[in-house]
Amino acid sequence: MTETTHVFRWDLDKTYLRSEFESWRDLVKSALENASDKQSYPGASALLRALKQTEGHRICIVSGSPTQMRRVLSAKLALDGIDYDEFVLKNNLKNLVRGRFRALRSQVPYKLPTLLESRVALHATPPETLCGDDAEADAIVYCLYADILAGKVTSGDLEAILRASRAYDDQIARTVGLAEQVVHRDTVGRILIHLDLRSPTARFAKFGARVVPIYNYFQAAMILYADGVLSARQVLFVAIDMLNTSEFELSTLANSAQDLIRRGRISTDVASRLAEEASQASDAVDGNPDLPPFDQIADAFADRVRQLGGAPPLEWPDEHPVLDYVNLVDAEYETRRNRRRGRKSHAS
Amino acid sequence: MQRIVVDAMGGDDAPEQVVKGAAEASLTLSDSELILVGDAAAIGKILPTVGHDGSRVRVHHAGAVVHMDEKPSEALAAKPDASIVVAADLVARGEGDALVSAGNTGASVLACARRWKLMAGVRRAALASVYPTELRRGERNDPFSLILDVGATIDATAQDLVTFALMGAAYARIISRNQRPRVALLSNGSEAGKGPREVVAAHDMLIKNTELNFIGNIEGLDIPRGVADVVVCSGYVGNVAIKMLEGVSETVLRLARYAYKERLLWRAALAMLSSGIERLKQITDWEQYGGAPLLGFDNVFIKAHGRSGSRAVANAIRVTSKALRSDLCARINKNLAEFHARIDTAQ
Repeated sequence: MTETTHVFRWDLDKTYLRSEFESWRDLVKSALENASDKQSYPGASALLRALKQTEGHRICIVSGSPTQMRRVLSAKLALDGIDYDEFVLKNNLKNLVRGRFRALRSQVPYKLPTLLESRVALHATPPETLCGDDAEADAIVYCLYADILAGKVTSGDLEAILRASRAYDDQIARTVGLAEQVVHRDTVGRILIHLDLRSPTARFAKFGARVVPIYNYFQAAMILYADGVLSARQVLFVAIDMLNTSEFELSTLANSAQDLIRRGRISTDVASRLAEEASQASDAVDGNPDLPPFDQIADAFADRVRQLGGAPPLEWPDEHPVLDYVNLVDAEYETRRNRRRGRKSHAS
Repeated sequence: MQRIVVDAMGGDDAPEQVVKGAAEASLTLSDSELILVGDAAAIGKILPTVGHDGSRVRVHHAGAVVHMDEKPSEALAAKPDASIVVAADLVARGEGDALVSAGNTGASVLACARRWKLMAGVRRAALASVYPTELRRGERNDPFSLILDVGATIDATAQDLVTFALMGAAYARIISRNQRPRVALLSNGSEAGKGPREVVAAHDMLIKNTELNFIGNIEGLDIPRGVADVVVCSGYVGNVAIKMLEGVSETVLRLARYAYKERLLWRAALAMLSSGIERLKQITDWEQYGGAPLLGFDNVFIKAHGRSGSRAVANAIRVTSKALRSDLCARINKNLAEFHARIDTAQ
């Protein structure tokens, strides 16, 4: 059996798949859709396929979708050529039958033990990259998971956080138990947050430098290149995949790169190195009649850097901030509740 | 994809309100790329605080700003790297399709005039303004009429006035979705022979050589009534008229504030009218319109009000996008070509 060298934990709805859960109608529509009707974000499947090209890379998908959707979601991932190692869904029917209505919507009490259980079962401590979205509490759950792995959260603190996140007693006991079983290593190097709701990126600064909000998967690929996880050729393949959709063109990809540079999330040096290494893989582009020649692509990117006129990027947030998770989950709960109320009043 | 260049440093509350407005527009205009021209470091600090689409917004650095109170020609001479100059240059070089600015009006007009080409048959560009009126118009039930020229140039010949009428009508057809806008000349009487020589001559040309819905001359008091959808005048007259209209509105507001403070009975009366006043404010809210065009150039320029907040800027960008989608310049060109063909035939 191949040794796991890196784990990639991916959310599904609003991270990989375009999903609408804003109303009951959306939920029913999503449940009845065929695999071929489900849409992934441009570049999402290309990125996961690229990640899986390296031996030892493990892809774990954790979704809040109900277990009843496993067949259709698995079929969708198969259609996209995604070779995953784990695929966990939420057993909401069980919650419903047991009358645990809080558990239907709760995020932290479901995702955190799921992540910890997977880590414990791994019996190893490889580095991890996590990807979620801005629709729910992914940034909080992932940071909490990372801090637990790093040994920064005591059992007492974890219990208080879980209570604040409206977890049931048995969920608290299980999660605290799992947290005590993990081998403590600071191994979560990167947390990517897909900005499905186009939330302001500054909202995520409090989570520290490892959390990077992204507008699209080209940005994800660039960050993972900077992290040494993807090669320039693989970044190019993600870009080509996106350029083959109607949503992206050369200028929007170049703008995405400029956005990361402005936010200080990649340096101009890294961008230059990427361009240089990508030029060696330019045969991938030059043979494609639907794409501009590589030189034109490189020029567009260089232009975006020049257009910044040497303006300094934003300062990076703290590397290791101490997060007040109790307040964070409280605030997230309130936000979600207000959003629901807003939708109800809007509907009435 | 449309490329809309935005002068991020122009306006009383720039760059903050301009950048926020552009950010808001990026979320709704899926076929547009917004190029924010200005201090890249300042813009880079504002963008992360607002929701936007990072793949459709780009920043283009410009090192200087023309402030609202600066003399246009002197400022442009002293600041060749001013944001409005760089922005107009980008459009002139074909790196952008249209320009939006809430900055110094004179400097904006001058920057465009020095870099952009006038359309064939246009001798002078015309700056338009919108004014809320009693009567409404078009499919959108638009409460705003268009007045041009309000100060791009001082004098206008009869042919200039006819050109302004053709351009203004084309714009109203697209933006207000008003298929037969009522076009009028601003004069000192409604009779055809009233007014200076060029207005009388323009009256004759508009009747004989255009197919516009020309309703003749109107007087100043007809502007707020909304008798015409497009009011045509020279830049000198238009500027005086629009400033006077703005002055009257401000005076009415000041008087209302005075009344509110002065007597309890007046205060009570104003309180009773408050919902009606609020409704009136909503109807005549210029922020919903966003901006008005500078017409006559080969490119689209929308001038937003200097006091524009983010909502007004976002709406000015939407108006620009609509003008590009509807190919405003090509439509104006077509109307002008038809007019000149008629003149040639008549001669």
